[in-house]
Amino acid sequence: MVFLARLGAPVRGFLEFLGDQAHLVLRTLRDALLLRLDQLAVVGGQTKLQVRFTGLDALWLVSGTALLLGAVTLIQAFSQLSGLGAENYIGTLMVLIILRELGPLLTAVLVIGRSATAIAAELGAMQLNGEVDALAAHGVNPYQYLLLPRWLGVLVSMFALVVCFDALALGGGFLVAKLKYGVTFGFYMDSVRQALSNRDFAATLLKVVLFSGAIAFHACHFGLRIQRSQTEIPQAVTKTVVSALVAVFCLDGLIAALLYF
Amino acid sequence: MIELHDLALDAPDGRLLVQGLDLALPRGGNLLLTGPSGFGKSRLLKVIAGIERPARGTVRVGGHPVWPGDGVLALAGKVRLGFAFASGGLLSNLTLRENLALPLRFQGTPAAEARQRTEAALERLDLLAVSELRPHAVSASARRHGNLARVLAMEPDLILLDDPLEGLDAADRAIALELLQTWTADPACTLVIAAEEPHAFTHLEVARLQLSPVPVESP
Repeated sequence: MVFLARLGAPVRGFLEFLGDQAHLVLRTLRDALLLRLDQLAVVGGQTKLQVRFTGLDALWLVSGTALLLGAVTLIQAFSQLSGLGAENYIGTLMVLIILRELGPLLTAVLVIGRSATAIAAELGAMQLNGEVDALAAHGVNPYQYLLLPRWLGVLVSMFALVVCFDALALGGGFLVAKLKYGVTFGFYMDSVRQALSNRDFAATLLKVVLFSGAIAFHACHFGLRIQRSQTEIPQAVTKTVVSALVAVFCLDGLIAALLYF
Repeated sequence: MIELHDLALDAPDGRLLVQGLDLALPRGGNLLLTGPSGFGKSRLLKVIAGIERPARGTVRVGGHPVWPGDGVLALAGKVRLGFAFASGGLLSNLTLRENLALPLRFQGTPAAEARQRTEAALERLDLLAVSELRPHAVSASARRHGNLARVLAMEPDLILLDDPLEGLDAADRAIALELLQTWTADPACTLVIAAEEPHAFTHLEVARLQLSPVPVESP
C-alpha cells in the first residue's frame, strides 16, 4: 500500500497541476469575453507593457542568436556535405532545421529564460505583498488585469520574435552561403521557397499559440501559488523554467508527430 | 449587509482561530473587531471580503453568497468594496495616484469623475505631495493613508479596515480618525474595523466584537 501511495502521489500531483492549468486557461478565456469596452484600455495598457518587455526588449538577443544559428547551421552543413552537392539543398536544410524546429523552439527557450521567470517572480511578489488580493477586493478582476495581458503579451511577442528569428536565421545562412560559396540571393530564396509548404506555416502558427499559452500560464500558475515567504519566489521561478521547458518540448514533439509523422 | 453563519477560521498552521461565529451587520452598521494579535481579526476581514476561504460556515455580503461560492469575484459589479490592508495592498508598479485611479477606471467610472475623486481623496489624506511616487518610495504612514485614500475614492458600500491607525503619528492619526468618523456617520456605508488596540476608537459609535481564543481540546 505504501508503495502504491508513493506511486500515486506524483500522478495525483500532475493531474492536479493539469487541472489548475485548465482552470486558469478557461477562467481567463471566459473573463476575457466578459471584458467591457471601458476596461479594454486598462487591459490594453498592461498588454503593451508585456509586449515591450517580452518582445521589444528581447529583440537584440533573439536577432543575434538567430543570425549566429543560421550562419553556424550552414557552416556545419557545408563542412559535412560540400562534396555531395549540398548547395542544392540549402533551402531544404534551412526550412527543416530552422523554420520548422529551431526557430519556434529556441525563441520559446529565450522567452522562458527572460519573461516566464520575470512573470513568475513578479506575480509571486505581488501575491506576497497582498496586491493580488487588493486588486480582487477592489473589483479589479485578476484574470482580466494580470493573466490576460500577460498571455496576450507573450502571444504577440512570440509571434513577432519567431518571425524575426526565422528571417534573421535565413539572413545569417545566406551570408555564409554567399561569402563562402558565392550563392546568389535569388537562388537562395528560391531554394527556401521551394522547400516551404503551407503546412510549415500552419505548424509555426500552432507552435506560437501553444508555446505562448504554455509559457504564460506556467509562469502565472507558479507565481500565484506563492503564499507565505520570499524564499518561495526562487523556487517558483525554477519550477516555472523546468515545467515550461518540458511543456514546450512535449508540445513540439506532439505537433511534429501530428503534422509530419 | 454582512451575514455570517457558523463560521470557523483556521490559521495557516491548521490551528482553529474562530469557531461557530454568527453575525448579522445591517447596511450602515459599524463594527469594531478587537482581540490580541494572531486571533483571526485580519483573517476574518479577508474571509468577509472573499479573498480567503473559511474552514467552515457561510458568508453573505449584500445578500450575495461569498462562501461557499466564488469568493470576492461573486461580488464584482454587485457590492462596492473598499479594503485598507494592514500592510501592502498597493500595487508597487503604480504611483499612489494610479493606485487610486485603477479600480475606478476598471469599474467604468467616467475619466473626469475618476480624476476628481482621486484628487479629492489624495487631498483629504494629505498625499498630494507624494502622489506621483510609487509605494516603496513613500513612508509607511503614507502607504497606510494611500490604502485609506483608495477606499475613500471608491465610495464603497462596504469598508473593511485592518488596523488603520497602526504606526501612524499623532497628525496622521487625526486625519485618519476624522475620515473614520465620516464613514461611521454615513448610513449608506457599512464599516468593519479590526484593531488590536480598541482605545483609539472609543469615541466612534460602533458595535464591538471581541475575538477570543478557541479552547484547545485536550486529547
